[in-house]
Amino acid sequence: MATKKKRTPNAESDSWVVIAADSVIDTQKHDSDPAFVRLRNPATDEASLYLLGSGDVQLYEVKAFQEDFRSWFIGQAVQRDGKLLFVTPMDPLYLILPYLIKSGKEGKFQPVEQLVVDEEFPACSRLLSCTRSLASLHHVTEEKEVGGRKFHRYSEEKTMSWLKKKVERTVAALRMRNVCVGEGVTSATYVRVKPESDGREEDFLRYAHGLLSEYISEQLSKALLTHLGLPEPSSPKEAEPPSKKRKLSDKPVEAGEDYTKFNSADFARKPPKKMTTAQKSLAKVDKTGMKPMSSFFSPKVKAEKK
Amino acid sequence: MDLSSFEADNSSSCRLASHIPEVCRTEDCCLGIDEAGRGPVLGPMVYGICFCPVSKKEDLKDLKVADSKTLTETERENLFQKLDEAKSYIGWALQILSPNTISTSMLQRTKYNLNALSHDTAIGLVQYALDSGVQLKEVFVDTVGPAEKYEEKLSQLFPGIEVTVRPKADSLFPVVSAASICAKVARDRVVKDWKFAEDLGEVDTDYGSGYPNDPKTKAWLLKYMDPVFGYPQFVRFSWSTAQTLMDSKAATVHWDDDDEETGEKAAQRQNNRSMLSYFSASAGGKDHNPTRKTHRFFTERRLKSLNTL
Amino acid sequence: MSCNTSVTRLCVSSVNEAQRAPVHLTPCEIEHNGPAQVSQYFTATTKNRKQEQTVSFRGRCLRGQELSCPQGYTGLVLKEINKPGSDQEDRTVKVSSVFDKLTYWNLETPPNSDDTVVMAMDWPELAEAIHGPVED
Repeated sequence: MATKKKRTPNAESDSWVVIAADSVIDTQKHDSDPAFVRLRNPATDEASLYLLGSGDVQLYEVKAFQEDFRSWFIGQAVQRDGKLLFVTPMDPLYLILPYLIKSGKEGKFQPVEQLVVDEEFPACSRLLSCTRSLASLHHVTEEKEVGGRKFHRYSEEKTMSWLKKKVERTVAALRMRNVCVGEGVTSATYVRVKPESDGREEDFLRYAHGLLSEYISEQLSKALLTHLGLPEPSSPKEAEPPSKKRKLSDKPVEAGEDYTKFNSADFARKPPKKMTTAQKSLAKVDKTGMKPMSSFFSPKVKAEKK
Repeated sequence: MDLSSFEADNSSSCRLASHIPEVCRTEDCCLGIDEAGRGPVLGPMVYGICFCPVSKKEDLKDLKVADSKTLTETERENLFQKLDEAKSYIGWALQILSPNTISTSMLQRTKYNLNALSHDTAIGLVQYALDSGVQLKEVFVDTVGPAEKYEEKLSQLFPGIEVTVRPKADSLFPVVSAASICAKVARDRVVKDWKFAEDLGEVDTDYGSGYPNDPKTKAWLLKYMDPVFGYPQFVRFSWSTAQTLMDSKAATVHWDDDDEETGEKAAQRQNNRSMLSYFSASAGGKDHNPTRKTHRFFTERRLKSLNTL
Repeated sequence: MSCNTSVTRLCVSSVNEAQRAPVHLTPCEIEHNGPAQVSQYFTATTKNRKQEQTVSFRGRCLRGQELSCPQGYTGLVLKEINKPGSDQEDRTVKVSSVFDKLTYWNLETPPNSDDTVVMAMDWPELAEAIHGPVED
């Protein structure tokens, strides 16, 4: 459609659209302002952006929704950067854990303030001010009190139990929200109808485990998988019984393209030109067990072409 | 001619028609199709049909409808009056395609060019006449694209009707001139009375002929160009004049169906996002794990962590 | 290399002066940051139908749907003030607008619950499960 447009670089944006937990802007309690800080991401070991609430009482993580080709109109202004940021409460224990594990190797009981120290990320000590931090340390450590002071030592056993409880909470939430945890692409209007339902519990556990793995080290993630009684997943492309798809609602889904192009023989090959971004991501996804759209149209009926 | 239904929403497409004369339902009729406003970059394109019994062809000729291109606006209005007065045997119908309809049709994801739009509109009007009970036997129309192909297409769609596609049909067949007059009168009025839906206060109407090569029109486009929104919906965005002017003066806009990106372009585009978001803040020598895969819950929802605002 | 000692302060008191603003997510990237005649060109020509809204942008047909912020969440537009010279220095952002709903727009495709941004709105509720406290 368009001529080849040159893209000018996006100079640093100076505004952001954010959806934040109400507690972030709750001004009553403290004198100090909330602050965005960089802390060590437990899964990647690299810097990630977090927010410490007013008075450092609550930790939040920052996630960005980022799709290509998006911008914002805000009131009477336009913002080129189309990101949408989510600031959601986060359990500070996930960020504290790596420091406990590191020092746990020494096997000694130590005061926690001495453990949560990071030359690269000096703000990490502020994590101990979070309301939940000190109160929940016992979930992952053994505690000892000597002369009115508390000492902690990392406990893998306790940590596994704690993480397992987290997994269970997550599974419950996934079930309640009807999140699609099986193989394939999530859709609100189509549900995969599997002939056997006992595969389901394992799917939920794995999915929840995967989600939690975003917050723990690879090592811990592997240990948790074992603790949950789940074997290492074999190739996900292994033969799965073909599952039927059933539409949940009668909402019409408008075809933006002639879907008869996507017949089974072509599915694995390079997708046709001019796919939308959504179609491009669909093409990249594991399609085991998915029926091509063309199988829903009778072969005689040609899709309407303009 | 009551244009109020179009004026109620001048962003869409609207059909207007006269009453169907009774004789047109009982006698064999001829019908002419013509359009107005195909070339301009401003305002609507109007397709018109005009029909009457074959037996009344001479009466139509006597109205002196002639070649409408040589007439002034006033002369056309007068001729339309005459056609209207002859409502006992002459019927007409119009399809007004707003500039917004033209833009969105031509700029949609699946290509829909002006010729296709024109054909479909003309066909729609002929079908309307048939559905209204007009006993059509002859249809005359000017060329839109290759004449033979168009004639064949129409003949196939309307079996039993003799279709004649000729260049300059409006000077050859009075029913076509009559249709041309109806279309032009409608276009002129719509343009003259155009209400800008945008909240722009008094808009100056000194835009000349509305044709893309008219310097007055070009000057008007430049005057009313907005760096973000381009132009008011009075303008056909799909016209290259409009596009070229925006390319040079308005902010660049990128859509997901822009000319397919090469790998290099995609990389360039991604790099043009904030460079800081790619800085890793770990100290040298540390073992990081940049290949740790993000869970599909997040990737499916395009959610990712940031390392800086 | 980015500095990890600097922080970005969120001036929370600015919420009190922040105006409620209509917020729209467009299906295209517009290479511009600054004022725009949104109400004059966009809002004035938007058509509201029962399930969705329609408008044209640069001659292309957009279809939109309003989305509310999740329960317990507020929409904020943050704006940086006094941009510092180096990345060693602290930064400050204030709340320039607030919103409790936004409208997202698709190019021609009718908005539906499979749209990525709609699915992204699931996140806060799931975050509660992952980060909420575990009973003793």
